[in-house]
Amino acid sequence: MIRLLDFLNHTLFWYYLASNLSYLAMLIVALKTSAVHQRRLKSYRLEWFKESPLAPPVTIIAPAHNEEQSIRVAVRNLLELDYSQLEVIIVNDGSEDRTLEEMREEFRLRPVRAVYIPEAKSAAVRGLYRSETNASLLVVDKEPGGSKADAVNAGLNAATSPYVCIVDADSVLERDALLRIMVPIMADPKRVVAVGGIIRVLNGSEIEGGYLKRVRLPRKSIEVIQVIEYLRAFLIGREAWGQGNMLTIISGAFGVFRTDLVRAVGGYRPQAIGEDFDLVTRLHRYLLEKGTDYRIHFVPDPMCWTEVPSDLQSLGRQRARWQKGLLDVLWPNRDMLFRPRFGRIGCLALPYLWLFELFAPVIEIAGIITIIVAGCLGVLSREFALQFLLFGYAFATVISIGSVLQEEITYKRYNDWQDVIRLVSYCFLEHFPYRQMHMLWRLQGLWQYFRGDVVWKPLKRKGLESARAR
Amino acid sequence: MESIFERLWRLGPAAFVLKAIVAAAVADGIFLAFILLRRTYRKWYFAKRDARVFALRQGWDKLISGAIPYETWRNKALDRRIVESIALDALEAAGAEESARLLKFLRESGLLEKRIFEARKFNGWRRMRALVALGQTRAPEGIPALAEGLRARDMETRLAALRGLGRMASPQAAAEILTWVGERGLCVPALPLQSALIQCCAERPQQLIPYLQHATGPLRETLGRVLGEVATPALSQDLLEFVGDDLDELRAAAARAMSHAERGLAFDVLNELVSDPVWFVRLRAIISLGTLCEARAIPDLIRGLTDSHRLVRLRAAEALVKLRSELVPIFQKVVETQDRYGLQAYLTALENASLRGELEGELQAGSPGSSVAQKKLWKILQAGVLLADEPEMAESGAAKSAWLP
Repeated sequence: MIRLLDFLNHTLFWYYLASNLSYLAMLIVALKTSAVHQRRLKSYRLEWFKESPLAPPVTIIAPAHNEEQSIRVAVRNLLELDYSQLEVIIVNDGSEDRTLEEMREEFRLRPVRAVYIPEAKSAAVRGLYRSETNASLLVVDKEPGGSKADAVNAGLNAATSPYVCIVDADSVLERDALLRIMVPIMADPKRVVAVGGIIRVLNGSEIEGGYLKRVRLPRKSIEVIQVIEYLRAFLIGREAWGQGNMLTIISGAFGVFRTDLVRAVGGYRPQAIGEDFDLVTRLHRYLLEKGTDYRIHFVPDPMCWTEVPSDLQSLGRQRARWQKGLLDVLWPNRDMLFRPRFGRIGCLALPYLWLFELFAPVIEIAGIITIIVAGCLGVLSREFALQFLLFGYAFATVISIGSVLQEEITYKRYNDWQDVIRLVSYCFLEHFPYRQMHMLWRLQGLWQYFRGDVVWKPLKRKGLESARAR
Repeated sequence: MESIFERLWRLGPAAFVLKAIVAAAVADGIFLAFILLRRTYRKWYFAKRDARVFALRQGWDKLISGAIPYETWRNKALDRRIVESIALDALEAAGAEESARLLKFLRESGLLEKRIFEARKFNGWRRMRALVALGQTRAPEGIPALAEGLRARDMETRLAALRGLGRMASPQAAAEILTWVGERGLCVPALPLQSALIQCCAERPQQLIPYLQHATGPLRETLGRVLGEVATPALSQDLLEFVGDDLDELRAAAARAMSHAERGLAFDVLNELVSDPVWFVRLRAIISLGTLCEARAIPDLIRGLTDSHRLVRLRAAEALVKLRSELVPIFQKVVETQDRYGLQAYLTALENASLRGELEGELQAGSPGSSVAQKKLWKILQAGVLLADEPEMAESGAAKSAWLP
């Protein structure tokens, strides 16, 4: 028993140290990368690219399901993005409300026979509509497919541009977001096959006419903690992984892909729980198997603002789903692990995800239990355990404050003093009891997966409804 | 048995952990202090700057006419920076007369000379800032200093110089950039180079030709792309030598440039390029044919409509519907191809251009050949698909679906 406890304590110690050190390394890489990125941006004149012939055509695909309250504002927002050659495809995914009618009235839709070749799997299409007021808007009306992946695939089948940008209809894109996310592609069109943008928390901010008027921190603690999580995940994690061409997730709320490649891998997998992670992993596999020289980029300045869960129940469901999605992708791709042909993805990125993302809740919970048991059996140095806990706490706050610092010196979207003080305060407060709850949700996700509960359930969001009210 | 924590305590790592706690706490403190100090400083600085901007703008006309002596603001760093940034912003949007007035002010006040000095003598961010500002002035005397910047060791400085020369948008700036890439090759990312050259070569694109002839590898592709954007009819003959080039990018650039070329030549060349084995060369050729918008392009565009690549088909369809006077004959030819993907693409383009009604009207009004043919076309237009009694259509569609991109 004691041997086992000792082994588990050893594991916990080294695991925790490795996890924190890897995040520290990522923080250092991210700080450097974003400084270089900021300087590079000055070399490009974004205004010039607005009308540039070098900007390739892009199709935005936005799936919408029961979005009658916000669809008008959302579509207008997309059509007004700064980009010269833009096509917007809204996929009405079997909405039971007036989503289609709202669009019909606002944009004077008329039925058309647009090019629709069902290359990617999707539920049956009921009709295609083109706007009379803006020819670049196409609406695909389809039977409910039960997943976002299914809806995106329908849009993919109708897309006519060499690049597709996948967004959520209830997210808010900054006006120059598309232009910014396309910069790496314009810079290296031969190698760059996909680019991910940054997702920021919309809750609490003021929106007018579909545009962000003023960025504010949300009021609820649970939302503020998610702001920190998003900053940490995007400004540190993805920035660092992207730098090493090891990005395995491009958020489904905002990402650009080369259309022919997405079609070549069969589009999104409709049954996938984490469809965005699944797609990027399959793209890596496809390109590495073909021996292609390619890059998948992350750029931190094109911003997409999205609503995050504002109650514990929804958040728990979301996190459990993310964990299920992780396992759902990692398990079928286990053959990529430590295979030289899959390069850094197989030897570094995927093992990291297995060890520090998938197993994290199991190891952490097991570790906590063994410390408690060891303490009860009297085989624990309490002084050292306390110090170790303090060290872990201080280290974790360094990472969190580092992400806030990164935000401060680069994009500085939270201008209000009060917001910054609250943001920093939550860097210290998020570790108890939120972190433990988070672990339990993730464990729950794993449990659900093994039980076979893998149905894709969308979260109920208010989205731009609140914006409309203002 | 001892726990790992006890062992670490006894062996000494406890001291390490203690130190680590202190280090982490110090790091937290430094991060927080940095955020706090930076915010405080920025608040103070911007308040001060806004007040000075307001004050200087009040007497702006007197200031640039020299009625207010230059020495009153030139010796104060903040004022000098503000005056320069207001002048440069004004230059961006100024007409010819206002530009000349502002440039005269920059010269007489010594701001231009100062920037040239900084661009030559300084290093790091001060040099980069000077290079970009020099470009914004569009003053020809800044070009030599910018050209020196292109030869800097540091990549960021080279990019700043390139950006500055791009802003100049003049043949002299283009000559400097081209001489530099001729000497050093492609030593900056392609996009800023393309962007700068497109701006600078718009007036005299023939400058590119000799460099393109001697360039190799990625530089050749980059220059080819620029040529594709800036080519004019005067360059038609020069472009011919790139039509059969080994580089796909260069053939695509030639195809793109042909839309600006003399028409007779353009059709001959594009006729060849629409059969290119590389899809984006064919795509470029089809788009150029669409730009030329002439009936003699119809056979090539119809061929593009049956292309194996979806984008080529779509662009060919868009080009075909631009030929409004030929709606019925084109539709007849589209049907004759027996290609359902082509037909679908054509009907989509027709509907997107709101021309479906016009075609229906023409089909009803006059006969394209026999009344049977007219009826058949009408039925196809209404159904949106090729008729089922044509077996070869189904075969060709099924065969194509197997190898579509």
